[in-house]
Amino acid sequence: MNAMNFVYGFLVLVAVFIFQTTLTGINRKVTARLQKRYGARWYQQFLDIFKAMRKDSTSHGWVFDFGVIMALGGIMATVIFIPVAGFEAFPGLDNVFVISYLLAVGMLGMAMSAAGSGNPWASIGVARALTNMLAYDIPLMIVIFTMIFAFDSASVGELAAMQQGMGVLGWNAVRMPLGGIVAVIALLGMLGKKPFDSFIAPAEIASGPMVEYGGKHLGFMFILHEFMTFIEVSLILNLFFGGGATIWEYMLKYAVLYTFTTIISGVMPRFKIDQAVKYFYRVPLAMAVVQGLVVIFTGLGVKIWF
Amino acid sequence: MSIAVFLAILIILAAASFFVTAANKKAGGFATVAVSLFALAMVLSMKGSVGGEQSFMYLGFSITTVGWYFSVVMLTAYSMTSFFNPFWMKKMIYPAGYNFLYLVSMAGTIGMFFAGDFITLFIFWETVVWSSAFIIQQGKSRKASYVYYVLSAVGSMATLFAIMLAYSVSGTFVIRDAFTGLAGSPGTALVVFLAFILSGLSKMGIFPFHVWLPEAHGSAPHTFSPVLSGGLVKMGAFIAFLSVTAFPAYEIFGDMLKIMGIPAPIYFLMLLGALSIIIGTLMAIKQEDAKRLLAYSSVANGGYILIGILMLDQVGFAGGMMHLMNHALASAAAFLAIAAVAYRTGTTKMSEMGGMIHRMPVTYLVYLISIISMAGIPPMGGFVSKWLVFQGLADKGLLFIAAAAFFGSIGSFMYVFRPLSAVFLGQLFTRDKDVREVGFFMMFPMVVLTLLTLAAGVFPNIILRVVTEIQKSAGIEPVTLARNTIVTTNGFLDAFRVFIVFGFGFAIAFVLFIVRRKSRKVGLMDTYTSAEFIHTPELLHYSHSFYAPFERLYDKAPDTMNMYKKISAGIAELGGLVEAVFYGGKPAKTIFWIMAAGMVFFLAGGVFR
Amino acid sequence: MVLDEKDNRSPWEKIGDYFSANSVWMKWYCTGCGAIEMPPTMTSRFDMERLGMGPMATPRQADVLLITGYLSTKTLRRVIYSYEQMNSPRYVVGFGSCTVNGGIYYDSYATINRLDMYLPVDLYIAGCMPRPEAIMNGFAKLIDMIKKGEARGWRHYQENYEWYKKNQLDSLGEVIIKDEFHE
Repeated sequence: MNAMNFVYGFLVLVAVFIFQTTLTGINRKVTARLQKRYGARWYQQFLDIFKAMRKDSTSHGWVFDFGVIMALGGIMATVIFIPVAGFEAFPGLDNVFVISYLLAVGMLGMAMSAAGSGNPWASIGVARALTNMLAYDIPLMIVIFTMIFAFDSASVGELAAMQQGMGVLGWNAVRMPLGGIVAVIALLGMLGKKPFDSFIAPAEIASGPMVEYGGKHLGFMFILHEFMTFIEVSLILNLFFGGGATIWEYMLKYAVLYTFTTIISGVMPRFKIDQAVKYFYRVPLAMAVVQGLVVIFTGLGVKIWF
Repeated sequence: MSIAVFLAILIILAAASFFVTAANKKAGGFATVAVSLFALAMVLSMKGSVGGEQSFMYLGFSITTVGWYFSVVMLTAYSMTSFFNPFWMKKMIYPAGYNFLYLVSMAGTIGMFFAGDFITLFIFWETVVWSSAFIIQQGKSRKASYVYYVLSAVGSMATLFAIMLAYSVSGTFVIRDAFTGLAGSPGTALVVFLAFILSGLSKMGIFPFHVWLPEAHGSAPHTFSPVLSGGLVKMGAFIAFLSVTAFPAYEIFGDMLKIMGIPAPIYFLMLLGALSIIIGTLMAIKQEDAKRLLAYSSVANGGYILIGILMLDQVGFAGGMMHLMNHALASAAAFLAIAAVAYRTGTTKMSEMGGMIHRMPVTYLVYLISIISMAGIPPMGGFVSKWLVFQGLADKGLLFIAAAAFFGSIGSFMYVFRPLSAVFLGQLFTRDKDVREVGFFMMFPMVVLTLLTLAAGVFPNIILRVVTEIQKSAGIEPVTLARNTIVTTNGFLDAFRVFIVFGFGFAIAFVLFIVRRKSRKVGLMDTYTSAEFIHTPELLHYSHSFYAPFERLYDKAPDTMNMYKKISAGIAELGGLVEAVFYGGKPAKTIFWIMAAGMVFFLAGGVFR
Repeated sequence: MVLDEKDNRSPWEKIGDYFSANSVWMKWYCTGCGAIEMPPTMTSRFDMERLGMGPMATPRQADVLLITGYLSTKTLRRVIYSYEQMNSPRYVVGFGSCTVNGGIYYDSYATINRLDMYLPVDLYIAGCMPRPEAIMNGFAKLIDMIKKGEARGWRHYQENYEWYKKNQLDSLGEVIIKDEFHE
């Protein structure tokens, strides 16, 4: 660990921000086209973020500010750990548990800040977000657990590298088809896409955790959302779709996967939060357990594969 | 100093504290601080004399690394909590008795961890159970004490039975030898194993014995709950440890049915651990009282510790042993933080408080860091130990237990966030406008525990080095440690670097935050209410039934306590029937039945012989 | 309102105004009539997202307070509360004739007639009701004004706070507050 690692880490953050924000802008256009609209400019998301950063803001006390900083700090640290096409700013720290739990620091910071505003909508939103997390994470973690058992590695980078070289057939989403479906459904839940977006429902609970943010706080939340999207999509991409051998392949796959979730989201209504929990604990959980048992007891898909 | 003399001094000091308290309550409280710190210092200095065997009359002691480790955990909880004692004396019914029993139970735990034979172990175990039962009684309800005592007694009696049974086979009480003699008879060994671990399960609050934790933790005096959760629950972990190391469970049950390489009896106990993680999590989510919530979280964390210890391998075992320390630190700090809030507001009900962060910021930070550790989020200690447990489970492919562990881990975000949001964040109630932060003396132990939690997360190898010694003494391969790194077969963890990168991210975010214009400060009541005017903070605070939509999904699930109540009602009914039939108020009737029963026994004896 | 002031913005403010102009987030205050005109403006026929406009959930997040139709004195209090919760720079758009001069409610005892007595209105979209074309046209004008730094209502409000406050209090009369449910 030397100064270069930190420089790389900072560059990763800048690159990820530009890439993901552009992609979000493009996806806003995709959503618009689904709704037969012309849609926003592709750089609209940048304008929105910079506009928010430019405005004045209101603060509800030190925890409101501290939580926002802690959230963005935790999320940015997680972004630095994500391996992108074999590149890691801090090699060897890409353990899947580290990534998924360091992500939780950011979420906790955001939840803390939101609840610290004293607004009941924010607390309701946080309660829903945490419930949603409990719903989607269990099936996903079971599949990831199976993968760690089968491949004897918990490093995201190594797991991604192991899938390369066989084309599509090497992808874990193909080797473990049920697990792949679970992962994509869980990705929708992670990203807060419809039908699992009840925690930020704008008309129902006034956008939940975001209710009191304005100005730079809101700008922070938008930046945080971009980073969080990157972490979540990258995690699924690396674990189930083989990451990418080159940076271009990675970006292409990433764009396809992310746009796919947007398209699904664009045609879906919204689940109530208890319906989301019921859904996740019925269909994806059953699929994840079946997948786990198949892989652990028969090795089908991992040990028995060509 | 030999252990016996040390314990004798502690008991004498305990008696002395009784008289000091009778003379002056506050001085008595400070006496417990002095004595427990003295005990902690003594035990810390005993690290050098590991391996010694001592005996005093019929008591036998042996100083082992694991005993030392457990004692340190226990005495940390005791000594840090004791700082609260002087300030709570006026709220106690029997302050002198409380101080006396506090120190006696502390001495008892030391004696138990350093016991060299089972009789010593059992004597000190019972000392702790009895003295703590009388302390719990001084809290909110007497019923809690009964529940605690009855469940402890079930475990204790089973353990005594196991010890005697083992003695009848192997002819010795010495911990190392008593169980190894059972290898020849697996049937007896199974009975001994299950009966022996029963007291550990009941103490750790493993399903179905978890009912005592919320009762006892929830209604014990606020100064004793941290000890119960941070310390005494870990006695069960010690029994679990003995059941798989002193009792060579993996070897004796080696021929039995194996599930994923784990012998069936051990797998069954792991399933109980997994079940208590799930039940503890689900129940904690729906509690309305902060202390009961934390008590259920102890149930869930007890499950992790049990699973980790029972794995008895390179990684998972280390995780379980380390989690014991991390949970003790975090849970003691969380209970102390709630006690500090209760000291100022007089309640632990979450819906009756709010916005305490604006009045008690240090207490808030203490609670925050302890729950981060409890939920297993980096960079706190709890993350490292849970990471090790997950790695161990993934290594073995124990799918269902891992699913429960993940459920408990994510579910813990839900329940630990609830007191944070309801008690510390949100609207500050009008009643609590003038509440002050607790004084330095109460803040000190909380801050120390918090710093220890952070240290355990950033430099986990300090604790893990002790754990490797324990692993070596238990005859298993120790977990591989590099300078700052923990290496497992599935990858490695460098907690220090994770912390540094987190600090790096935080620094960038902080700079980005302060370069932008300073924000306008507004009051808590100036929030978005759909433009409605609200004047009462209490109405604008969301804390009751926090996870209502989620709770609704399982509110019809059967309750274990109700099951016990039904059993107890059934027994009472049976007793009533017996009483009505055999003791109908007429002595002649009773004599008739006694004679009839005697005749039946006599005849039956004749027939079966 | 003074619109003929010299453009004395710093370069940073100009850049900021460019961002503000191209990302106009609205809080709709639609307790009067006129809310029905917003969905067609938002959806595929007129598609206001093209201009970077969009609805927001709370006044904290929004830049523009869009007040449609008449305002009773009772809702005026809420509008002022919402406006003061917004972060500067913030803009007010009066929508429909009632905000200009009271419209068909000009002689009602319960409504206010001129919105700009109470809040600094940057732009009026007149009509009863203004059709989506008019709304789009109006917002194009607002965007232009923001870009040129002419939408200075929020500064005007800060500078003439006493005057606005006095008008607000005069129109509200005496409000006796007992608790949330009785005032």
